[in-house]
Amino acid sequence: MSRRNADLWVTFTVAVLACAVAAVRAPVAVTAGLGLVLFAAPGYLLGQLLARPGRTALERLAVSAGLALCVPVIGGLLLYLARLPLNRASWLGLLAGVTVAADGLLFVRRRRNAEAPARLGRPRETARWRLQPGPAAAFALAVLVAAGAVALAREGTAVQRYPGFTQLWLVPDAHTQALSLGVANNEGATTRYQLVLLHHGTRLAPRKLTLRNGQVWRMSLRFTTNVTAHLYRLPDFSRIYREVSIGRDRSVPG
Amino acid sequence: MSGTAVRVSEERVVRSQAAPATGPRHAGAQASLIPVSVIALTAAIGVLVVAAAYTAGRTGHIGSGWADRAYWAGQALIVVPVAVRLLGRRPLTASDTVVLVVLVTVAEYLVKICYSPAAFTFADELEHWRSTLNLLQTGKLFTVNYLLPVSPRYPGLEEVTAALSSVTGLSIFVTGLIVAGIAHLLFVSVLFLLFREVSGSHRIGGVAVLYYASNPLFTSFDSMFVYQTLALAFFALTLLTAWRLSSRETDGHRAGWLVLGGLTILATVITHHVTSYVLVATLALICLVALATGQRLMAGWTAVLAAGSALAVAAWLFLAAPQTWSYLLPYAQGTLHGLWALLGGGHASPAAATVGPLGNQALSAAAVLAMSALLPVGWWCVWRRWRGHPWTIAMAIASAGWYVIVVVRLTVPDGSELAGRASTFIFVPAAYMAALAVAQLTGTAVRWRARTAAAAMLVTVLLLMFDGLVNGWPPYWERLPGAHQVAGSERSVGPEEIATARWALAVLGPGNRFATDVGSYPVLGSYGDQNPIRDVAYLYTSPRYRPADSAQVAAQQIKYLWVDRRLSWSLPAIGQYFPDDPRAGKYHHPLPAADLSKYARMSSIPRIYDSGDIAIYTLSGGQS
Repeated sequence: MSRRNADLWVTFTVAVLACAVAAVRAPVAVTAGLGLVLFAAPGYLLGQLLARPGRTALERLAVSAGLALCVPVIGGLLLYLARLPLNRASWLGLLAGVTVAADGLLFVRRRRNAEAPARLGRPRETARWRLQPGPAAAFALAVLVAAGAVALAREGTAVQRYPGFTQLWLVPDAHTQALSLGVANNEGATTRYQLVLLHHGTRLAPRKLTLRNGQVWRMSLRFTTNVTAHLYRLPDFSRIYREVSIGRDRSVPG
Repeated sequence: MSGTAVRVSEERVVRSQAAPATGPRHAGAQASLIPVSVIALTAAIGVLVVAAAYTAGRTGHIGSGWADRAYWAGQALIVVPVAVRLLGRRPLTASDTVVLVVLVTVAEYLVKICYSPAAFTFADELEHWRSTLNLLQTGKLFTVNYLLPVSPRYPGLEEVTAALSSVTGLSIFVTGLIVAGIAHLLFVSVLFLLFREVSGSHRIGGVAVLYYASNPLFTSFDSMFVYQTLALAFFALTLLTAWRLSSRETDGHRAGWLVLGGLTILATVITHHVTSYVLVATLALICLVALATGQRLMAGWTAVLAAGSALAVAAWLFLAAPQTWSYLLPYAQGTLHGLWALLGGGHASPAAATVGPLGNQALSAAAVLAMSALLPVGWWCVWRRWRGHPWTIAMAIASAGWYVIVVVRLTVPDGSELAGRASTFIFVPAAYMAALAVAQLTGTAVRWRARTAAAAMLVTVLLLMFDGLVNGWPPYWERLPGAHQVAGSERSVGPEEIATARWALAVLGPGNRFATDVGSYPVLGSYGDQNPIRDVAYLYTSPRYRPADSAQVAAQQIKYLWVDRRLSWSLPAIGQYFPDDPRAGKYHHPLPAADLSKYARMSSIPRIYDSGDIAIYTLSGGQS
């Protein structure tokens, strides 16, 4: 492996590895890193192929980023026109395929021209961007503070208090025509309920429920019309907490 | 092209950077009192202060003045040092200018992330979240999106996000933030490159970007997870391609740029309708001006790109997205009708929407005056020094659109919305003209007046930037995130609404025609994948369900009715309770509770869902 083609070998290896870890269903921490590099690789390589005379590092970076974004837009449309499903395998194939093809083209061109790879930031811009320890520390601190700001905002959403709620529903099943009754507890804590059913106005045997936060309870009723469900939140029996009802002219969803 | 014609104080620095750096490095930066690394740190602290203000809002301190003041203090820490450094009279290196441009863009994007750091909450972002989810679930393009039917016909953003989500395993939200962030930064960076290339001065480029950042949509529609954000990046890259193709320095390397131009044109057309039309118009304008000024090389290459863009737009419009006409036509007709009424001597009636506090309006008026005054100075500068330069002349012509959007904003119904959307594009040439004006005004001032002129320009830029923040998005009534707000935007997206929408999808299935209020509309259409109908105010604004209502329900094929009893608790934050609300801006009292609870008393209308604040009823409109 020659050093001037190191970028080609790196991108080629990333493309192969990304496909491999997808095949073995690796954890997100692994797929995320490889996936991000694989996503950027076609843009970098196509940028090298197409826009060699880009004058500044910013311009070369912009062209590479733009091409990286172009590949899924146009490639995805071509895959769709080829009647291929746009799933994980297709996207991996597209990005890895473009990467490997561009690697090959660049390899051939470099061998033919015996030219040095035009790496980002070379040669003049790199010299100007060399940072002294003080500014480098300030930039690093800025990144940390900004990351802390986002973390603080995320923590803010986690601690934000919303009023808890309980969902009660009664819907006809589209297939069996039977009524389906359900309760979901989102009160933020384990909650006790009493469920009372009325059929043609006649009260049926009440049912006590204790649901953990996030727990859902369901049951199927043998009735199809004229059903009302009252849900009480214990220990308060005096007030109907939730109410649903289906009369004679019920509607069937679906 | 000659950048030496512009009299700016740092022009010698620009010229010195064209030559190899033989002198002491960072000569300009050393001369400055505020290094860019310190400005970066200040901006990061600004983001932290804004995040703290947002957290205060979420934890119940939204009414306390200090949270609001902290927000503005944070914004000042981001904006003011960058503006001071860019408009200061001390030398500024090209690399420092790039850092400043990137800083302000990234810092404002982080502020946007901090507003909704866990999930998308803005209506337009939810629309594209749904389209992306549909693409990931079906593996197909052009699926149905009930909220924004035209969006799947322009699937560029969804393709990029789905690809990144698929290969990384990250969620749509995280990948959406990455894609939107990269696209936004790319757009601003290329804009800076173009301004710098056209003017020949990196400082003018930086100041122009700063003016562009004062566009009210810079921190919202230009950087949100919406299709325009991505299309803008392709749009700018196509313009950069046009510039490079027209340059004699590109001789021998045009093939690569031409391929790049072809790809970015296609990507623009696939990604966003309006941006692709603006691209055609922009290239055509540059081509015509180049022809008029005798620049044949430029005219030829821009003609090639303009023709290619027009062809791609027409092909996409007829083959893939014919419904774009019906989507855009009402907006165009409304604008033309308003302008026609104005020209005919009558007066068009602007939308009776909510108006902001007096201070906001005063700031807006001052900003309009400032920009309106700067543009003629920019034109004068163009007339004196840039008459033979097609790109500058084209931008001078296009910047006149600024006055058009001011008129539209003041006279056309829904004009604020239209003017705001147009400002994304109009601000590109307008910002450049303003930057030329600043260079002219500060460059011609002498000695002690130079300092006064620089200070005046700094005040102008800050005035415009804070106007963009004050009168942009989020609006004043939702500046800080917090508890549920009736008919709000982000603050109408809470756990109960999301749980109810998800319940609707799981139990009722997708695509049911629903009546709902404006706050729940995007939640129901995105999380719920339902088909919410806009013209439903009549179902909520009378104490009785009349036969005429029943007939209209049948005509509209409405199957379910979403009733949020909180509509009777307070006035609508956005000025209207319903997506199409005939009484928008005219409410003086909340909706009567009886108008909302009438369905609970009707045995013929099943109440199939109850979560306390929200109830869902079955109407007969969907019955076959």
